[in-house]
Amino acid sequence: MSAGSGTGPGGGGPARRSGEAFWWALFSAGGVMAALFVPAFVIVTGFLLPAGDAAVASERAAAFAEAVGWWPVKVALLGVITLSFFHCMHRVRHLLMDVGLRRYAGALKLPCYGAALAASVWAAWVLLGI
Amino acid sequence: MSNNGKITLEIFRYHPETDTEPRFQSYEVPYDEDWVVLDAINWIKDHIDGTVTHRWSCRMGVCGSCGMMVNGEPKLTCAAFLKDYHPRAVKVEPLVNFPVERDLVVSMDGFMDKLDAVKPYIIRDDVNDTSEGEYLQSPAELARYKQFSMCINCMLCYAACPVVGHEEEFLGPAALALGHRYNKDSRDQGQSERMEVMLSDEAMWGCTFVGECSVVCPKHVDPAGAIQQAKAMGAQEYFKGFVMPRGAGG
Repeated sequence: MSAGSGTGPGGGGPARRSGEAFWWALFSAGGVMAALFVPAFVIVTGFLLPAGDAAVASERAAAFAEAVGWWPVKVALLGVITLSFFHCMHRVRHLLMDVGLRRYAGALKLPCYGAALAASVWAAWVLLGI
Repeated sequence: MSNNGKITLEIFRYHPETDTEPRFQSYEVPYDEDWVVLDAINWIKDHIDGTVTHRWSCRMGVCGSCGMMVNGEPKLTCAAFLKDYHPRAVKVEPLVNFPVERDLVVSMDGFMDKLDAVKPYIIRDDVNDTSEGEYLQSPAELARYKQFSMCINCMLCYAACPVVGHEEEFLGPAALALGHRYNKDSRDQGQSERMEVMLSDEAMWGCTFVGECSVVCPKHVDPAGAIQQAKAMGAQEYFKGFVMPRGAGG
């Protein structure tokens, strides 16, 4: 029972096309991003950059920071981060629907995707400052 | 409890005309390691209690009639061997997520409506005269949908799917996989008609890719994979809609 009208399956009438395709596309793209790149980021920033000698590590970190300062890298990072946020919040929304909030499927969009958008704007703000 | 030569079946009983609520009834049947659960139920019906009601036909995993919950799992009872349960008792219930008509028989009406909704047949704008011969298809074109065409409509996937139980609008694994099967068929021209139904509200998007449908499928159809492919096609259609506004469908 989503927020739309639309006749049920086999109802015969024209069913309303769902905007869910849009959110699913973000979810799907975010899933690819999160699976492919986020573990790599964790390994690089969490383990490889700070590894070994402190002086070498700080040099490495500085080089990394310089690379992140380059705008194409910022755009790519923002893409990965934004899509990952939307992936996460789409899943959270469906989880909430599954635990009994199904009739609020429509109303849940605002807080869920709003949170993903707000987090993305914050990420953009942080990236711009680098 | 059962001894070596016997096995106990606990059968879900419910006769709506006399029973106010369902109950379980235990039957002891001869244990034969070549027997499947369906053989045991048939033995009960023939030798102990003719009022036990169940649906079955082919006994060889083709007709899809004998799907039931066996110890809580959706199974074709013709393919569930007693030896996999013996010496424990076997609990047999009707498929969950369906209204019970009587004992182990569920109502298929909702399922049939959903199946019907995806138009699971080839739709052509132009139909050739039979004298012109068949619509030819290459092995590669066949391979794109063949797996999804193996569905026997046994409804085990509907009993396994948590979304089917929650969301009435959700078309469910088998219907969506079958819709996708025809969308992928090179001879078919009905994709836009089908997508009109599949893309509405929660009809397909309700799927959260739990994947149990593919786990329980006795014909290895992988409905979960079909739904993911159909979602990707649906998302493409959605974005294409902004570039090329849709005309009157169908």
